[in-house]
Amino acid sequence: MDRIKPWLKLTRWRFFRLDDRLLLILIAVIVGNCSGLSAVALNTSIDAMVEWLQPLRHYWWAFLLPAAGAAASSIFLEKIVREGAGHGVPEVIYAVSRYGGLLRFRSSFTRLISSCLTIGSGGSAGPEAPVVISGAAIGSTIARKFGLNERQRVTLVGCGAAGAISAIFNAPIAGMVFAVEVILGEWTTLNIIPIAIAAVSGTEISRILMGNRIAFTHQVFNIDFIDIAASVGLGILAAAASILLTRLLRGMSSLCSRTGGPTWLRAALGGCVVGAMGLALPDVLGEGYHTTRLMIHGLYAPGVTLVFILLMAKILATSLTLGWGGSGGIFAPCLAIGSILGLTFQRALMALWPGANMASEGCFALLGMAGLISGMLQAPLTGIFLIVEITGGWEVILPLIIISVISTTVCHYFEPASFYLKELIDHGHLLRPGTDARVLTDLSVPELLEKDCIVVSPTMRLGEFVDIVKISHRNYFPVEDPETGEFLGMVYLDDVRPYLFNPAMYDAVVIEEIMDTDVETVHPDDDLPDVLRRMDEKRLFSMPVVSNNRFRGMISKATLLDRYRRELAVQTS
Amino acid sequence: MQLTISEIAKCLGVPERTVRRWIRQGRLPVQRIGEEYSFSQAALERWARERNLSFFPPRVDRASQQTPELEDLQTVMRRGGVFYELAADDLRSALRAAADSIPGLETAEREDLYQRLLAREQLASTGIGKGVAIPHPRNPSGNTTKRSLITTCFLKNPVDFNAVDQQPVFVMFVLLSPSVKTHLHLLSRLTYCVRDDDFVAFLKTRPAPADFFERIARLEEQLVSAGY
Repeated sequence: MDRIKPWLKLTRWRFFRLDDRLLLILIAVIVGNCSGLSAVALNTSIDAMVEWLQPLRHYWWAFLLPAAGAAASSIFLEKIVREGAGHGVPEVIYAVSRYGGLLRFRSSFTRLISSCLTIGSGGSAGPEAPVVISGAAIGSTIARKFGLNERQRVTLVGCGAAGAISAIFNAPIAGMVFAVEVILGEWTTLNIIPIAIAAVSGTEISRILMGNRIAFTHQVFNIDFIDIAASVGLGILAAAASILLTRLLRGMSSLCSRTGGPTWLRAALGGCVVGAMGLALPDVLGEGYHTTRLMIHGLYAPGVTLVFILLMAKILATSLTLGWGGSGGIFAPCLAIGSILGLTFQRALMALWPGANMASEGCFALLGMAGLISGMLQAPLTGIFLIVEITGGWEVILPLIIISVISTTVCHYFEPASFYLKELIDHGHLLRPGTDARVLTDLSVPELLEKDCIVVSPTMRLGEFVDIVKISHRNYFPVEDPETGEFLGMVYLDDVRPYLFNPAMYDAVVIEEIMDTDVETVHPDDDLPDVLRRMDEKRLFSMPVVSNNRFRGMISKATLLDRYRRELAVQTS
Repeated sequence: MQLTISEIAKCLGVPERTVRRWIRQGRLPVQRIGEEYSFSQAALERWARERNLSFFPPRVDRASQQTPELEDLQTVMRRGGVFYELAADDLRSALRAAADSIPGLETAEREDLYQRLLAREQLASTGIGKGVAIPHPRNPSGNTTKRSLITTCFLKNPVDFNAVDQQPVFVMFVLLSPSVKTHLHLLSRLTYCVRDDDFVAFLKTRPAPADFFERIARLEEQLVSAGY
């Protein structure tokens, strides 16, 4: 066994040390394949579960199914694997921001199981976010196994996300763009190449296993100028729907957290309401791809009023499922809501101007999908490429771009942070590469410590202190108890300067009398942005760093500027 | 050439902790084989240049840290020499005589030095009292001497230097030094000696060079023990 062990450690393989970039590309293939597999696994198991539960749908108590599914997924997450609720994407972005892409291995399957329970039983949520966190966790785990550094690990987390999205939608470009635009927030040649490779291998694995099928088969649409004009209106409506969904989701989760009781019971309650809605409108249940498909093909029969009700019901069902503790993502519900919205919009326009020569309702369903995705994620490129790829049609590209940018812009106006990022930004956890927050978080107080201060004792006479001043390079003198080493205060040269030239005081004054005991101090674990804010508030240029009542050094703006510049230069290239 | 982490930290001017973090984050070019890291100086230099960071190899660093040792008063005075019975009847001729006495200068340099000593006197007198003057140029950086020197000049007749205590000057210490730091160092030691009244009385006896240097050495020992 001892002889085999070194070989198990992949980091020791010289072969992998030949070239870091080549190594990363090779690993990206593995990561893309694994996350593609997890996407296929989730898709297949949701389909199987839906089919398995189909016979039960006709009973009157069928509304309890989503409740049972949501409760089961909540119990699974909370009690069995002990993972937080939430849909996954913010957790991945958080890990990338704060921990260099460090994710637990168990995250690679937990969300798959819980979201399968939620969605398969009829909850209105999407399988994409769980697949994203699963792929990201796979990437992170593999990076750890190979002993890669943080930058490479973050790239592999992006690879996992790209592979997952590519595989689940059979859309490699959308996967790449999603990973870069939403997950990493950084577009460099270093990360785009492995991510592209992962997107390709993720797509390929799903094509091999499930066939090269496009989620929504290609339709030919004739796009006129009037459609482009109409897409402006749809863009604004899509933004309104996104804002409504975002606020409802947030309102539901705060309402849920105010309601007492165990989490699983609350999830069941939400699921129950969704199930009840599903009795009247079966189309609100599940991820909604079937309905979406019908709409794109122009085969969705119900009239405009009913479609509008369905739109509102779907928004409500999604916020009930996710806001009350179900497990799943918002990607698929966004697509469903968007297609319903587009359909409603086109039918309303046709009712107002019956003679207008507009594109078919299927086309507007597509545009609505792009509008919702762009608005919710505030990621216009992801929306555009996803719709182009899952429909296989390039002729809609012009109105698609219009609607995506309008929806993103309007949403940004009302909700400056996208649904994924809102909580992270509120807690200051979103640290995109090359930003001030990123640089200040990476630098830490111990790295900025200046240790060339001369410590004085409280019983020292002023005369002795003058001799210390002669040989010191600094204007600050920490005072420590000579026996216990306890930090007592500071002597600032500026405060005592006039008395230094008065020899009559040399024997009359001791340090204890002139030191400042009410000193603003910093702890080595303090966050730099906080420290800087305190410096600015108190108009200080430097502060002593104290921990466990011991003086550790000084921190000053001068050193900070020097290090900040180096850090910025290192990080942005 | 291979470097250690602490050497890299010194070259880049950041703490070791920062270098370790950069390695962990994958920002520094390192070769990792198993648990061992290896750094090549050429790669690091290229990396730093691309990022506009300064990178000073350790050898250069050590050389720049070596500051020249400050010389003691006695050595500098021996280099400058002692001259007796200089004939002068006013400030100008005294300075002229002093400039002519200093060893190892070209004729043009003597004229230049005289002008600069005079300029300094016109700004404020260097007669520090008790009949002692310490003429020196305004700016040490203009000095052609590579090493500092103090030339002691005993005047035949005391000359009015417009000193702080209005006493005529009987002895001049002409101080030339290549940098502000050595200038201040020597000036501070010299004034310490002149503060001692016994020493001034000793000077009035126009001592022979051997006695004079011996007395200076004794004073300097006191001065070092007093923490100057």
